[in-house]
Amino acid sequence: QVFSPALQSLLQAYAKFSGAPLTVNTINNLWRAPKGDLPVLVSQDIVISQPAKILNFLRRQKYNADYDLSAKQGADTLAYIALLEEKLLPALLHTFWIEAENYCSVTKPWFASRIAFPLSLYLPGKMSREALNRILLTKGGPPLYTLTEVEAQIYRDAKECLNLLSKRLGTSQFFFGDTPTTLDAFVFGFLAPIYKVCFPRVQLQEHLKQLPNLCRFCDDILTCYFRLTVSDGRQPS
Amino acid sequence: AEPWPENAALYQQLKEEQILLSDNASSLAVQAFLQMCNLPIRVICRANAEYMSPSGKVPFIHVGNQVVSELGPIVQFVKAKGHSLSDGLDEVQKAEMKAYMELVNNMLLTAELYLQWCDDVTVEEITYPRYGSPYPWPLNRILSYQKQWEVRRKMKAIGWAGKTLEQVLEDVDQCCHALSQRLGTQPYFFNKQPTELDALVFGHLFTILTTQLITDELSEKVKNYSNLTAFCRRIEQQYFEGHEKD
Repeated sequence: QVFSPALQSLLQAYAKFSGAPLTVNTINNLWRAPKGDLPVLVSQDIVISQPAKILNFLRRQKYNADYDLSAKQGADTLAYIALLEEKLLPALLHTFWIEAENYCSVTKPWFASRIAFPLSLYLPGKMSREALNRILLTKGGPPLYTLTEVEAQIYRDAKECLNLLSKRLGTSQFFFGDTPTTLDAFVFGFLAPIYKVCFPRVQLQEHLKQLPNLCRFCDDILTCYFRLTVSDGRQPS
Repeated sequence: AEPWPENAALYQQLKEEQILLSDNASSLAVQAFLQMCNLPIRVICRANAEYMSPSGKVPFIHVGNQVVSELGPIVQFVKAKGHSLSDGLDEVQKAEMKAYMELVNNMLLTAELYLQWCDDVTVEEITYPRYGSPYPWPLNRILSYQKQWEVRRKMKAIGWAGKTLEQVLEDVDQCCHALSQRLGTQPYFFNKQPTELDALVFGHLFTILTTQLITDELSEKVKNYSNLTAFCRRIEQQYFEGHEKD
């Protein structure tokens, strides 16, 4: 809910992998979005928010990217998603919403340009505060007492997480062989914004660029499934 | 390897009256891990264990002149002293192990916290009486309310506040299903030798199976998976029988 760009990439990637026909509508009027939560899937009369539920819905409609996975691989998927949420997401939130230079020069203007006035004045600030709140509540606390210490810890965790993902991916094209699955969608959803968005403060991006197999993974998906050239400065949405 | 002192101690809250499900699970996980490493440790119960801990969380261990809390840092600490359970794993397996440990923390631990602090019936009948039990009124109530407020704030931040109990139990089921699939017919998660992941899973599952709550719904979710209950029994027999059973 807090981090739309990653979730949008994730969902679009999953939709492409499973062949689900998905039209992306930019919602200009967030007042009408149910509970202000994006992204939202609207199918006939059903409205679903939150990515996990949306993925379940797509699966029940038989758009399943995980059809060929074994039970163990399905379990691995769940475990790696937990790893991403615990170790990578805080740093991602920080890079987009809390790091002052990034937030002011990239995130806020981009976000505000896509939603209507006067919501554009209020919503980015709210999302930034929620992100900070989330990080401090889940990662702050003794023995980390200042925001700087918390920041140092979450970036350490994120870099370790990227290293682990790189080791797990190895030389394969996707995480479970030759066809992409839910896990690939999740990883892509988290990595693509880090990889592609041009921020002034880029420590996470620099670390990611030292892991060539992860960069190759993102580029492959972008070119094969999104038909984008690698030089695009903003991620697709 | 550095010598492990004789008087190494693990601190947790009072076992019979005070400790809650989630803390008991975390403590048992650390005890199992240390048993697996063959490092003897005494369990000391103190009402103010939470406040003594350097991170505010239990359990914590006091070894020599150092105090370390929570399984993650304790594993690192023990490794620095020359003992490790996961040295034999390759890089990909280590990544997998870390991922599964996050899964347990993300789903099982959070579900336990939810049940203890956000489910009104459990809170009234179990948590409030237990949490502040060593202290006189009104301190016992104040401490309970304060802790509940803290936990609820965190639940809200990670999006669990809006969940119903059924949804939480479903998440537990999903997690157990994943663990059961991953374990398969092996004795431990990485076949022949236990690792910190086995200790963590044992800590949580055994505690869920043996703690009496308002209903049996939580333990039933675990009981659905026979290889998980067999796993718990195996570790209990191998590492805890003959010692002070926790």
